[in-house]
Amino acid sequence: MIKNTKCECGHQNPVGTVLCEACGKPQFEEKMENSGELLEMRYDGVARRSQRANPNFIDKVWNFFSSVKVAVYLIIITLVGAMLGTVFTQETMFVTINPETYYKTKYGTIGHIYYKLGLSDTFNSWWFILLLVMIGASLVICSLDRVLPLYRALSKQKIRKHMQFLTRQRVVYQGPIHENSAAWIERAVTPLKKKGYRVHTEGGALLAEKQRFSRWGPYVIHIGLIVFLLAVLFRGLPGLHMDEHYWFPEGEITPIPDTHFYLKNEKFTVEYYTEDEMSEDFKDQGKVVPKLFETKAVLYQCVARCDDPLAEPELKEVHRHNIQVNDPLNYKGFQAYQFSFENISELRSVQPTLVDKETGEVYGKFKLTMNDPDTEYQVGPYKLVLKDKYMDFGLDEQKRPISKSGEPNAPAFLFTITGPGLPEDGGQYIYFPYLQQQQYYGQDQLNQRLGGTNNKLELDLAAMTDVDIIEYNSYLNIRVDRVMPFVWTGLGIVMIGLIMGFYWQHRRIWLRVDDGIVTLGGHTTKNWFGMRREVSSFLQGMGIEVDEKSLDNGGNRS
Amino acid sequence: MNLLEVSKQAFVIAFLLYCVAFCFYVVTITGKTWKNRDPKQHERKWGKISFVTTLLGLLSHLVYVATRWAWSGHIPVSNMYEFMTFLSLMIIVAFTIVYLIYRKELVGLFALPLAIVVMAYAAVFPRDVQPLIPSLRSIWLYIHVTLAAAGDAFFAVGFIAGLMCLLRTIDFKGTDKSARRQKLWLEITFYSIIIVVGFIVSVFAFRASGYEAVFTQSAEATEQSSGTKEVYNLPPIVAPYESQLESADSFLGMSKPLVEVPSWFKGVNAGRKSNTIVWALITGTLLYGVLRLVLRKPLSEALAPALKGMDADDLDEISYRAIAIGFPVFTLGALVFAMIWAQQAWGRFWGWDPKEVWALITWLFYSVYLHLRLSRGFHGRKASWLAVLGFLVVMFTLVGVNLIIAGLHSYAGTD
Amino acid sequence: MGRARRPVQIIILTLIVILGGYAIGTAVFGGEKARPENGDSPPAFNLRGLDGQVHNLEKYEGKALVINFWATWCTYCVNEMPALQTQWEKWQDQDVVILGINTGEDDLTVKNFVKQTGVDFPILFDKKKEIVGKYGVVPMPTTFFVNKNGKITSIVQGELDLKTLDKQIDRLVKSR
Repeated sequence: MIKNTKCECGHQNPVGTVLCEACGKPQFEEKMENSGELLEMRYDGVARRSQRANPNFIDKVWNFFSSVKVAVYLIIITLVGAMLGTVFTQETMFVTINPETYYKTKYGTIGHIYYKLGLSDTFNSWWFILLLVMIGASLVICSLDRVLPLYRALSKQKIRKHMQFLTRQRVVYQGPIHENSAAWIERAVTPLKKKGYRVHTEGGALLAEKQRFSRWGPYVIHIGLIVFLLAVLFRGLPGLHMDEHYWFPEGEITPIPDTHFYLKNEKFTVEYYTEDEMSEDFKDQGKVVPKLFETKAVLYQCVARCDDPLAEPELKEVHRHNIQVNDPLNYKGFQAYQFSFENISELRSVQPTLVDKETGEVYGKFKLTMNDPDTEYQVGPYKLVLKDKYMDFGLDEQKRPISKSGEPNAPAFLFTITGPGLPEDGGQYIYFPYLQQQQYYGQDQLNQRLGGTNNKLELDLAAMTDVDIIEYNSYLNIRVDRVMPFVWTGLGIVMIGLIMGFYWQHRRIWLRVDDGIVTLGGHTTKNWFGMRREVSSFLQGMGIEVDEKSLDNGGNRS
Repeated sequence: MNLLEVSKQAFVIAFLLYCVAFCFYVVTITGKTWKNRDPKQHERKWGKISFVTTLLGLLSHLVYVATRWAWSGHIPVSNMYEFMTFLSLMIIVAFTIVYLIYRKELVGLFALPLAIVVMAYAAVFPRDVQPLIPSLRSIWLYIHVTLAAAGDAFFAVGFIAGLMCLLRTIDFKGTDKSARRQKLWLEITFYSIIIVVGFIVSVFAFRASGYEAVFTQSAEATEQSSGTKEVYNLPPIVAPYESQLESADSFLGMSKPLVEVPSWFKGVNAGRKSNTIVWALITGTLLYGVLRLVLRKPLSEALAPALKGMDADDLDEISYRAIAIGFPVFTLGALVFAMIWAQQAWGRFWGWDPKEVWALITWLFYSVYLHLRLSRGFHGRKASWLAVLGFLVVMFTLVGVNLIIAGLHSYAGTD
Repeated sequence: MGRARRPVQIIILTLIVILGGYAIGTAVFGGEKARPENGDSPPAFNLRGLDGQVHNLEKYEGKALVINFWATWCTYCVNEMPALQTQWEKWQDQDVVILGINTGEDDLTVKNFVKQTGVDFPILFDKKKEIVGKYGVVPMPTTFFVNKNGKITSIVQGELDLKTLDKQIDRLVKSR
């Protein structure tokens, strides 16, 4: 069925038009012609793009997403889904435990059902992502369908509107004037301009309009949201995103896998609040509260021999930063966040002194590192050759020395020493850098049993300065997130749209004078209270006293 | 007297001033019908007095914030007590702004009690100044929390106006299904508010009397490495699961708990929490019962006549306007700045932490409200119901998430 | 705008389907996996060997690989070394390579160990434990069997005895 969509003013309107695009006369409601009911001013009464006479499949899909009702349902379903996702801890919050058993043991049967329904990972589930995608689709299609016709309607407004269009606005005034109509309209221009309106006149009619841009607010919000959603979507593309956690021991240059960066933790600091900094009430609770976690970090970039495992890479210092919580390192998008730490107090190296046990003569000292130590040392007249090294000293069933683990819990070093007063092929000597372990494992007895050195020599730690300890291990979160600028841009656009749309209102006043009677119609997108006040103050300036409230044409459509 | 003492005094003064201002608002509204008075003039005069008193309260409230801030070196929004106090401050600020736009005295009659209840609720939590942990030491704490609170405060005013609109428009004489249902739900809303008041009353009553009961819970029952102790400050009706009563002050001859928390109710201090809820229900119901007996009609019906002079459309518009002002503020404070901070502190702007999710839920809820209003013609009663429900979502996000779900945002002092 | 309506609609709907499908796809099938599984390609490495040479996957392209992660302090690893050595001797002519990746130990320790046990298949150093991490190895030893097409056919955690190892390699050689 083809409806006649031509208005009496001669304008041809698209299907679905509520108010004639030209003169504003209500369409298709002959019966209610003079009903006086308020007009539907949403989108200025223009047809949405999707409203077509004979929809096919694509139109139907399009129409589905262009409906605000559908959008609202989508939001509500997402909202409820998100609520369900907060009922129990999500799978992503714990890493080491098997979710299959976790929910059953922790929350019982309800927990198990929750897991089986897939709610234990709501925010990564296909249906939740699908909802977000559908909301995205709705954002695009809804906006596109409305913004273009609205733009057309607002950019070619007729100044003289149909009488009904005026009298069926929510703010209406009608009354006699006692002067020439053209003169009255002319006089009305200045006060309206003073109120910030842009004024157009045409014969005995006037259109005053201000802050039209606020009409675009919602669409700007939607554009911002789309940018945001797209940015988040592309975040997953390879190379745009990295999120790893690594340990960085103090004083070590640690390579960061899959990058050409090396990071040195020069010093890690943890500070706690002193009692002076606490209030009386809080002091009594005896709690210890950390104040600062800081990693003094130096970032190096490999400039040569980077992928050659046989060669030492050449590093160049590129950046320095004291990483704190809330103050990450950021070098051209490569970021390191303070995540955790561990007090390990692990030996890095010792500088034992070789001493003659009998004479007390000191031959000198040498540096022994726990990792990759040199295998030969010359100390005075003696030559020490490192024969074996145990990180976590122990004895196996055959009483042979072994390392119980890879952790440096009880490092021990076995040397062959040659030199004056020792056998030709040298004597064996075992050395535990930790003093208490020398006693615990019986270093002296072991050396006696090994023989060779004839109890003549001894490795001794002369001073605490000869010990180099890795105090802290700092756990940093290494991140690269190339799409963040787009995320922030999207959110920025959303904010601009929100401010445009919510803190300004599109206000229009139509005036026409017919036979000494002035008719005023006013429309605003929100804040009718302010609109009425403005109209009443305008009319007052024109010599017409009206009560603000009496301008209200009833109904309640903002 | 040091700054912290000044701050504590200022808090009490602000609270009292709000109470006085509320009484003045009652006089403003009820006094209109007194004899020998011009209603208009009376309203203008007393409206001004009430508003000025409110402003004085606000001033004192600001003194509390300033002195506590000066003493501790950080803005007082870092634990539950400080946040709720700040929220009540923001509610007064939002009310002030809305009042300056619309000049409706009646809004004060409802906004002040809400601020008072929130403030009293704040005082339930530990009030000591806590030092800031490293993750909170950021400028974004200031911006994110204050703006989020401001947004929420506007939603609160939207709720107030929505509630008033409902009181004004619901037909209390109506007998059809819809009218009966609306009456019922409105009454339930008031009953829930009374329950919150009941909670506060019972906590303070027993705190004043210094009541204490101690339970020990075995290691098996708590699934922790060692047994734990739970201290009740309300007489135990509900005991922790598989626990032993260690000591309890006597209350009305009752020295033993009546029931035990079921085993499936887990979480930190499950016993004490459920005991508190039971007490809130009992006290609240008692309070409600007394009010019903005095008024001899439902609370909502008794309150409705006070709104006779108000235009329902105006109330609807105030509610909408407050939400429209609050929405961008909330978006900026609770989502955008929250994301910026999260990015800076944890390296991810969004992590589906329960508090984050609930902020999103709040945002989605109000965007539904706006869409329904702008393009589906939800006005008046329908919109008001949404505004009321929205505030419930806001309060759950602010309080419920911390008490029930917790996560990264679990403040100190919420247990 | 009227004439371009249909194409615009189709373009937008197609874009939504593609992007949406991609979004849901990554959500369902997961982006990155924490550890390689059967059927995956083994993660790349570039390591120094005890022989002073560089060893990487390209070097052994077209060969069946048995990648064994071990350490001298791990008793089970030490126990299975003779079996690996025996199989190495048996299969090396048939394009089977056994790689022993040592995790985080010093040259000295590894050299001593190799000398002691007489192992002569390629031993690689993973000093920074980078590759262990990439392979997602938790318990030691863990052995990855990679066929000639460069796909992991099985992953065995724990000690391997001679017979199972033989069976596994046999299957590996036949696997296409």
